[in-house]
Amino acid sequence: MGDGSRPGGRQPAKPAGREKRSRRGGKSSARERQPGQRRFSPASIGADVVLLGWFVFSLFPLVWLVLLSLKSESEQISTYFTFSPTLRNFGTVLSSEGARLTSVNFSDALLTSVLNCVGAVLVSLVIGVPAAYAAGRWQYKGSGDVMFTILSFRFAPELMVIVPLFVIYNQLGLFDTNVGMIWVLQLVTMPLVVWILRSYFQDMPAELEQAALLDGYTRTRAFLMVALPLVRPGIAASALLAFIFAWNNYVFPLILTGSGHTPVTVAVTRFLGGGGQAFYSLTAAAAIIAALPPLLVALSIQRYLVRGLSFGAVKA
Amino acid sequence: MGSLTVTGLRARYGRTEALRGIDLDVADGEFFVILGPSGAGKTTTLKSVAGLVDDVDGEVRIAGRAMTGVEPYERNVAMAFESYALYPQKTVEQNLASPLRSGRSGTWSAAEQAERIRQVTTTLGIEHLRGRFPRELSNGQRQRTALGRVLVRPADVYLRDEPLSHLDAKLRAAMRAELKQLGEMSSTTTLYVTHDYQEALALGDRVGVLREGRLVQVGTPEQVWHAPADTFVARMFGQPEMNLCSADLSAGLAAVPTGGIAARPPASTAARPPASTAARTGRGGIEVGLPAELADAAGGSGASVRLGIRPRDLDVLSGPEPADRLVLRGRVTLAERLGRLVELSVDVAGEAVIAVTDDQRVREGDQVVMAVDWSRVHVFASGEPGTDTARLGSAAPLATGADALGGAR
Repeated sequence: MGDGSRPGGRQPAKPAGREKRSRRGGKSSARERQPGQRRFSPASIGADVVLLGWFVFSLFPLVWLVLLSLKSESEQISTYFTFSPTLRNFGTVLSSEGARLTSVNFSDALLTSVLNCVGAVLVSLVIGVPAAYAAGRWQYKGSGDVMFTILSFRFAPELMVIVPLFVIYNQLGLFDTNVGMIWVLQLVTMPLVVWILRSYFQDMPAELEQAALLDGYTRTRAFLMVALPLVRPGIAASALLAFIFAWNNYVFPLILTGSGHTPVTVAVTRFLGGGGQAFYSLTAAAAIIAALPPLLVALSIQRYLVRGLSFGAVKA
Repeated sequence: MGSLTVTGLRARYGRTEALRGIDLDVADGEFFVILGPSGAGKTTTLKSVAGLVDDVDGEVRIAGRAMTGVEPYERNVAMAFESYALYPQKTVEQNLASPLRSGRSGTWSAAEQAERIRQVTTTLGIEHLRGRFPRELSNGQRQRTALGRVLVRPADVYLRDEPLSHLDAKLRAAMRAELKQLGEMSSTTTLYVTHDYQEALALGDRVGVLREGRLVQVGTPEQVWHAPADTFVARMFGQPEMNLCSADLSAGLAAVPTGGIAARPPASTAARPPASTAARTGRGGIEVGLPAELADAAGGSGASVRLGIRPRDLDVLSGPEPADRLVLRGRVTLAERLGRLVELSVDVAGEAVIAVTDDQRVREGDQVVMAVDWSRVHVFASGEPGTDTARLGSAAPLATGADALGGAR
């Protein structure tokens, strides 16, 4: 019966059971104990401190980025938190001034990124949704190997394939084109779509489509009429994730595009200067602008996303 | 509507054999019930008929048409799934309209569809729920909707997979009565799967008992109830289960039990000729006669058989002992009061016998006398405990010593 286990343990020790002590504040209203609920103890406070430290550590770069983007050129290398904030950097990045500094038009880069990512996601969905359906419903000899091969595109380092890809792209004339970028971004987005949606299709009882077959619908119509509408949350979730992964991809566009179709990830780094002056504050502003589109997409489909990510957890 | 013929149907999932040769012949308009415990292959049978299971051997003919290689949507079969399989994103009305809109069960104009759906929902008592989604329905309402989606359309064969299994006991009894009425109303060729023997007996024109992928017995409800093919079928029907105890055969009746527990009625009062071969349980608690041909089938004197008595065939007596029935005496070891009825566990000379009585005065420790008709005592071939053996016939009155001498071979 350790007395220090609870703050305010000064009251005369009652012969109360564990249940009594576990209740916060000792109020009389009965409350069921939740699985995540903890008692106060030195260990739990220590855990909170560790978590807080981790929280600061992981969020501070973002804070620093925002601060940096608001600093003027003269203050950009100071580490003080006091400075005169300005929004001029954002204007500079998007204007011809920025294009002059980096030889890349940042607005064009944004547009290129949007085109590439939307294209990649669309192609991934058109091919990936039926693929995921087949993978979720059809077990055959070697089906696991096929799925693993698709997944291996995800965890194989991009640098491993970048040199042969570069050669191939040069030969085919795909270097520095949108079609080429969309094509190569498939390597990133397609496995995501297929793997996420496969589990959605697996969670869906096959008897729904069987019922449709017996209602007189062909397999294609059963898929379109029954299965597809039910995985809409999953399509939203996987499309968003695919979009973010495609948007954030850096290595492929760095090698496979020139100045004609530079996407935003590469354009941001141009502000660091190639041997000339490094514009840290402009880089920070560009990075924040570059982060906005995926954020907006995420917010706009948040409703589906929350439902989508918890879809498989509870039996429908 | 049409007939359904299944010949040598075999199916396997991986290494497990789900169906090991099913032969079925369901006539046009017949209501056929398949009864079996879980895992017996009931659902697989239905899905094989519907064409939803790949790689099955054997032949399915619907309305005389061979179905090998025919896609499910071309079989003209309607099926109600155990899980209901209602389309979650569609309302009750849209669910019911689905088979009518596919274009494969006739062409229906919008007005005809609405009229047909209205008819079916009214029959099923769900017309006020037509605008609801499946998630907004109770289990009973979902069940009706699933049934409605089957009834709404014309089909050669209707398949129903445990339609009542997820309902509570009262609703199940009510729906069973409704199904009976519905089934007669439309008198459709139906293959109905259940694990509830009462449903099977109440609904089926014929019943097939399925066990581990084989049909053990096919017959009318009377046949499977009164003459079960083996101990498995016997135990499938009836609650509580049939009492089974093994007994040894002895010819000539030289060894009459000394305890005097076995009943030896005067042969003259018996309806059937008395038997000279007796089957007696371990300590002689139950002793019955066996007709000669039955005794021969069991292996003659020295062999053993199993005796089966349904608990509800046992009458707990309060008056004089009848002379023309098998009489059992024993001590009550357990009395479970289940409302109107009391379920008794009675120790009859070492054999635990279950009986059911409506006599509320029975207490544990009481001595009771029970009687059962000779013809209601089933005789099965002997076997290891846990295995199922075939039924040989029913018992006969036991001959007295004099008769035994006269009838000895």
